[in-house]
Amino acid sequence: MIIPIISAVLIALGLLFFIGGAVGILRFPDFYTRMHAAGKGDTMSMFTILLGLAVYQLQDPTPAHILVALKILLIALFIMMTSPTSTHALIKAGFMEGIKMWRRKDRKEKS
Amino acid sequence: MKALGFIAVLGTGLLLLAASRDFPNWGDPDSPASSYRLSRHFITETINETAVPNMVTAVLADYRGYDTLFEAVVIFTAGIAVIGILRRYGSRNSIPSARETPLTPKKPDLIVESTVRLLIPIIQIFALYVIAHGHHSPGGGFQGGVIFGASFILLALARDLKAAQNWVAEKRTLILACCGILIYAGIGVLCQFLGDNFLDYQILHRILPTDPVMARYHSILVVEIGVAFTVTAIMFSIYSNLSSNGKMKEGI
Repeated sequence: MIIPIISAVLIALGLLFFIGGAVGILRFPDFYTRMHAAGKGDTMSMFTILLGLAVYQLQDPTPAHILVALKILLIALFIMMTSPTSTHALIKAGFMEGIKMWRRKDRKEKS
Repeated sequence: MKALGFIAVLGTGLLLLAASRDFPNWGDPDSPASSYRLSRHFITETINETAVPNMVTAVLADYRGYDTLFEAVVIFTAGIAVIGILRRYGSRNSIPSARETPLTPKKPDLIVESTVRLLIPIIQIFALYVIAHGHHSPGGGFQGGVIFGASFILLALARDLKAAQNWVAEKRTLILACCGILIYAGIGVLCQFLGDNFLDYQILHRILPTDPVMARYHSILVVEIGVAFTVTAIMFSIYSNLSSNGKMKEGI
């Protein structure tokens, strides 16, 4: 009984991070801050959701289910490795191309 | 002219929608596709005839192996066509590309470099697993080949095209693509030489140390490897031609 609750809490937490990332992409002012929201939010939320799914598999701890849980954790590991790297590569490419960073005074000029 | 096109599209769409009412319901056991004796034969007899648990793989590579052979040939032809259109040897009639200098700096990025170095072996092992495990789970030559090709593309993206071509030079790519088709068609011709139909693998038990059922099982693996060769090579070849504007030099 306790395991579905843990898994549901983890998945709900992941969805919360996802919402944070989505709001960040929409609301942040420039490329760099948006990538920051997308990269961090996506990585953390995917990790917690996958952790929740892996925990859910352990309800019935037969070898087959444990194997599935391990595979899910492997996916989580690869996402932890690749998602920050792709964010880094995108931001570096943007920096090399000379995209301007947002500063506080930009907001004042606009409004 | 635009209105005419719109009317044509609308008419065709309405006809298709009207015709869709004649389809049987999804998953209907009495539909012609489900009740015809051929599909019942596949469902009940695949495991006895080929010893392959995954019915899709058995149908793909054994029962309709002829179709799959020419699917592989289609991919091969597409790759050859891309090379024929895009590849430019030497510097004559060179069109200046939009971006002569590469986007990324010459010096490879440390973080991307380390991640790629960690990931590529894992991707390639997973690709081999997908190819070899097609008998038991979703997978097979096409999927595994695409994953394997993607590992080379990842290297070309993270470093540059040169680095990837140190692994698989252009010539070797094309030889690999031809080898894949030759393996597949060669198995079929071998069956003919042993006195059975083209791609009828069970006759191969005469040269393989197994019974006819296991001969079909193992021939499916050989055929998948052939497909994987072609798909890997053509994936990487298409990428390198498209990204380097046919010059095979810089890439993006």
